[in-house]
Amino acid sequence: MSCPVEDDGDDLIIAYGAGTLDPQQERKLEEHFQICARCRDLAEAQRAVWSALETWPTMVVSDNFDARLYQRIAMEHQKFGWRSWFPTAWAMRPAVPVGVACAALVAAFLLKDPALRPLHPSPAIPAAPAIEQVEQALDDMEMLTQLGVENPADKAAATEKI
Amino acid sequence: MDQDGIQTSTAQPSWDTRVKDNSIQPAPLERDAELMLRVREGDQASFGLLLAKHRGSVVHFLYRMVQRQAVAEELAQETFLRVYKSRATYEASAKFTTWLFRIAAHLGLNWIRDWRTESRQESLEGELAEGTTRQFADRTPTVEQQLLHRVKLREVRHAIELLPSKQRAAVLMHKYEEMEYSEIANVLSCSESAVKSLLFRAYEQLRSRLAYME
Repeated sequence: MSCPVEDDGDDLIIAYGAGTLDPQQERKLEEHFQICARCRDLAEAQRAVWSALETWPTMVVSDNFDARLYQRIAMEHQKFGWRSWFPTAWAMRPAVPVGVACAALVAAFLLKDPALRPLHPSPAIPAAPAIEQVEQALDDMEMLTQLGVENPADKAAATEKI
Repeated sequence: MDQDGIQTSTAQPSWDTRVKDNSIQPAPLERDAELMLRVREGDQASFGLLLAKHRGSVVHFLYRMVQRQAVAEELAQETFLRVYKSRATYEASAKFTTWLFRIAAHLGLNWIRDWRTESRQESLEGELAEGTTRQFADRTPTVEQQLLHRVKLREVRHAIELLPSKQRAAVLMHKYEEMEYSEIANVLSCSESAVKSLLFRAYEQLRSRLAYME
């Protein structure tokens, strides 16, 4: 005969100690105890523990336990009385963090996607006419040089040298 | 979650074993769940009935957890207060006592964790004497019997106190509340096999300390 305690673990011994085995299981286990001293000792020890735990008396609950509890409940009502005006909204409070998280996600999505960013004036746009103006001025000066028109500034510099 | 892996909220446990087939009629609500649903609708008398029914078991459970009467009552008050405060969000998705003891166990385990960090100056002698007096109040035991009982009780309390807090909670629910493994698992937010392991180790330790007392 195989050892039922080895097969099923200590559950069997714990249940035997607690007296929760069905009569057939209990009888079978007790038959096993006749040939297995180890299981018998284990079961006796478990029953002794169960019996020892029985000696622990329950405490007597204070007479004013309920009164103190109802007083605390009344204080809660006073403290958070406004909530009773919005019972449904208060019951929905677990949804608040979810809503905040959704709003944060939407904001992050908008900031990350450049196509959805609000258009800002590009700093390169006002610079474009200035460059064109300089180029135009240089072209005009070159054309005047080719036509033989003297630059008044060059003429003044030449007079100073003389 | 705290250090023992217990969920710290008063959220109701998931009910893994519930029937998911919609074609099957749901089981009728247990009496306690019905009462709690009435509390949700504002019926104060139903809360009184729940309190009267479960006050003792919650206080005794916490008393054996923390081994101090005043602390046990304070934690039991907090347990029922949390039940009342959670009434608006209550759903009868699990057995009421599982939810109730989950709150109580969480408070007890947290208290033990916090208390362990403080100095352990307080003696259990005063409360031991109190319990013993009550035990023999209606009998006339001899002085030797009283002394023997006091020693035995001290050993039991010490052995329970030496258990790791989660093992202690599991043993107390198994022994005194006669809870099934599945219910203890729901209260402690762990698997049934984890509960078996907790109980195996706890009873092994208790056997080594208390078996001689037979």
